[in-house]
Amino acid sequence: MVQAQRRLRRPVGTGGGRPRRRVLLTFLLPALALYTVFIVYPLVSAAQYSVYSWSGNRQDGFAGLANFRDLFTKYPLSEQVWRALGHNCLFFIGTMLIQTTLGLTFAVLLHRSRRGKRFLQTAYTLPHLVSPIVVGYLWSLMLNPQFGAINAALRDVGLGSLAQPWRGDPHLALPVSIVVNAWQWIGFPMLLFGAALAGIPDEYEQAARVDGASSWQVFRRVTLPLLTPVLGIVTVLTFIGTFNVLDLIYALQGSHGNPEFSTDVLGLVFYRTAFENSDPNAIGQSCALAVCMFVLIFGVSLAANRVFRRMEERVR
Amino acid sequence: MRKFCTLVAALGVAFALPACAPSTNSGNGKVHLTVLSWRPEDTAGYKKIFAAYEKSHSKVTIDFKPIKATDYLTILPNELKKSVGGPDVVQLKPYGPLQSYVKAGNLVPLDGQVNVGGWQDKVLQAAKGKDDGKLYGVPYALQTLQVLYNKKIFADQKIEPPKTWADFTAACDKLKKAGITPLATSGLQPWVLAIDHQIFGATRYGGNDFEQAVLTGKKNFTDPDYTASLGTVTGLKPYFPDQVTAIDYPDAQTLFTSGKAAMYPGGSYEIGPFTKTAPDIQIGFFDAPPAPGAKVDHALTSGYVDGSYGVNAHSEHKAEATELVKWMATPEFGQLYASTLKQISVVPGTTPGDPLLAQASQNYNDHGATYMMVVDFGYGNPLGRDQEGLALQKMLGGTSAADAGKLVQKGISAWFKPSGG
Repeated sequence: MVQAQRRLRRPVGTGGGRPRRRVLLTFLLPALALYTVFIVYPLVSAAQYSVYSWSGNRQDGFAGLANFRDLFTKYPLSEQVWRALGHNCLFFIGTMLIQTTLGLTFAVLLHRSRRGKRFLQTAYTLPHLVSPIVVGYLWSLMLNPQFGAINAALRDVGLGSLAQPWRGDPHLALPVSIVVNAWQWIGFPMLLFGAALAGIPDEYEQAARVDGASSWQVFRRVTLPLLTPVLGIVTVLTFIGTFNVLDLIYALQGSHGNPEFSTDVLGLVFYRTAFENSDPNAIGQSCALAVCMFVLIFGVSLAANRVFRRMEERVR
Repeated sequence: MRKFCTLVAALGVAFALPACAPSTNSGNGKVHLTVLSWRPEDTAGYKKIFAAYEKSHSKVTIDFKPIKATDYLTILPNELKKSVGGPDVVQLKPYGPLQSYVKAGNLVPLDGQVNVGGWQDKVLQAAKGKDDGKLYGVPYALQTLQVLYNKKIFADQKIEPPKTWADFTAACDKLKKAGITPLATSGLQPWVLAIDHQIFGATRYGGNDFEQAVLTGKKNFTDPDYTASLGTVTGLKPYFPDQVTAIDYPDAQTLFTSGKAAMYPGGSYEIGPFTKTAPDIQIGFFDAPPAPGAKVDHALTSGYVDGSYGVNAHSEHKAEATELVKWMATPEFGQLYASTLKQISVVPGTTPGDPLLAQASQNYNDHGATYMMVVDFGYGNPLGRDQEGLALQKMLGGTSAADAGKLVQKGISAWFKPSGG
């Protein structure tokens, strides 16, 4: 009787309590199956492939850690891997400085503004919806020294001396890629920070104001510490994104990270090692690199997560 | 729930059934062969060519299955690994990039089965295993490298195709003065710079004699003639488009087809697409004259084989697939290929339908040279072509020719061992 009453009070599918196991499984299985096939299986097979030597697509004998050793000792990989890792680090730092700082600034400004908030939020987030390959090609056209809009605009306003070979100068190509990447993704941290700002009660600011705090002090001492959890998420996601970057740079600078490998990143080294490599052991070497990238990204993300958790606890 | 399970099962069956069906079926007693290629743009041409084969081989039908060139090399290894349902005949990259498939045992050796008597060794090398020397494909096209030029611009500026380096630079100066970019090329893509080097620098380093000297270990890429030949390309920087290091490959093509640039150092494979993009443009070509200090006293037309067609070792119709590639070595296929697809066929005794290509082919036979960075030094990582391009990029940025030569030597010696001598 009691059970019947419970059923009456809680119609199927209207929430409350834990659904039956069969229903749970029905909803979880498709996602789990896709996750296993497209994420877990490739990861496990890449790890397995990386400890074998290969002749084309034929798996030969067990190679132990030889493929990993090749990555760090065999020219040109030994040079390319370290250089690309350095570029990934610069890409991360540059993205944090530009994308995250501006994202936070825009979020704070939009949080305060009343007019055009929706429009600006949509405008900043729109590039986010376009494929990085398309963004890369679009910007490669704009940055083109002969037909591009940017150099033409600079010349038209009398700033011709500032017209640069943006994609062709080894010193400029990486910073330009970082800026283009930030242009595409700036809406993402902005939305996250915006949502977090909306969750901070006004009373905190008002209390600080009563105590005589200036706008900057309110932001520095009240708002920013309360944004620590989001800052942590943004930092970790930016790290993952910038260490996995491939498509945008491929579209902007080609598979060789042109010019002179000045925009080469680990994703491109992997792509070349796997698909543009005359070494018959391409699968072994590229899988070893993929495993190294996974360990690095996973390890650092875990560690960063832990650090931010501690910072969060301190704020509480 | 039962309905849901039935739906899932039905969908499963619907997806599984086509997957189980073999890609090569034998309906109506006919054998169905699949040919895998990276040339979607040639589909209509190949259909016409294979229709001729189907006419004389009534029991065979051919399905030409093109895949986007950029995806082809990521898909081919998996297609060749399929024990059932893979392609029967596959288009193969030449020289070094072929070797992985040979080593994996993906291809059927064709020695003794295909009639290649009278073919040049250099042509067959494109389809041979480096270690076992066996033939694994039938080469189909030769590409030559030369300087293409816009005939109208040359006529307007009263310029003749140059015979000497002095004539060439004088023509470049005249064009530059007239506000026309003399040479359209890409400094952003290393492989384009390597082609430029083969076109302008081959005479300076000594063409095939130097190639043989490196192959046998008598010389290497730090040789002063070779490093000077690198300088031949970077010395042309004033005639390249402004900010050439930022010019991409398609930009260089557009500069030439739009008439903003008068010359375009490039391959014979560019002529077809250029005429399609800009039907009004009148294209001529000439071989770069011997560069200052040249070790060869006449112009050279460099060339290389574009690829070959091989038989998948897992093909369910090996006999029929082998028969098809045997046909690809006959003058009938060669001539059809040359005329239909406007290419230079490597089958002896064939002539390209296009007069420009006929001339390029004739030039290669008269004074041909090997594009050594692809033909001989493309068998390891880094590819010779990429390493040379990187060295040239560095030179455009100020690195000395001697250091650039050291960089090329460092890259190639990472995997290349000379044969001694």
